[in-house]
Amino acid sequence: MNIDIWRKELWHPVTVHFPLVLLLGATANQTAAMLADNQNRPAWQTASSITLLLGVATAWLSLYTGDLADGIVARTICDPTELKDHEITARAMTYTFTVAAILQQIVRWIITPRLRRFTNILVLLILITGTCLLIKAGHLGASVVYQQGGGVAGYPQDCD
Amino acid sequence: MKQRSILAIIVILFITAACGEKTSVVESGTYQGTIHEVEADKNEIYVKTADGKLLELYFTKTTTLTRNGATIPFSELAFGKKVSVEVKKAGQRLDPIAVEILE
Repeated sequence: MNIDIWRKELWHPVTVHFPLVLLLGATANQTAAMLADNQNRPAWQTASSITLLLGVATAWLSLYTGDLADGIVARTICDPTELKDHEITARAMTYTFTVAAILQQIVRWIITPRLRRFTNILVLLILITGTCLLIKAGHLGASVVYQQGGGVAGYPQDCD
Repeated sequence: MKQRSILAIIVILFITAACGEKTSVVESGTYQGTIHEVEADKNEIYVKTADGKLLELYFTKTTTLTRNGATIPFSELAFGKKVSVEVKKAGQRLDPIAVEILE
């Protein structure tokens, strides 16, 4: 069997694991920042900010590579509705973390302590929401690959 | 308080806007509807049927595309055009057999 390892649909699994790690890390770092004392909080917030920005950038890249793979994989699997759910959830997840990243940068310019505190809590809530979407998107993506063989060369198909 | 409310509303609206529309699976057969979206780079169309179902159709090598019996190129498909689609259900996948532009 001649299998091309540069197939267009293979760029998605190359990119998608970076946002998984980075965005989960961002949520964990932000949680630690909210629980930390005043001395340690800035370090956790910086860590959260860096992981979130990198995570959002790689999430957008993964949306692009996912879109490249979609047209190929959807034609070969037996249940493309699962792929559609994966796409919708991943898009909602990316937007959610993008909103969190924007708010996190806005927090730097807020002078009022109460509003800053409120915005930080809001960022954490959005990150937790994004994490739930991330887990759902990841589970659906895994199901497309491991249950349906999406993007797997030579996978036997018997749809009926 | 007002600032907080505005901030929260903007966040909710932004996230809601990110959510897409779910597609439907129907039995094999012929359906009429209007084109909801065309993704030319994927040879893919979305058709909204009269009863509000959204069908996602990826053209295959054997899908025929016609108007008044004559074969036409994929670029003729556009948002809002009325079409008749014959689909074959394979698992939960809808393979378009024939697509005909009705107007």
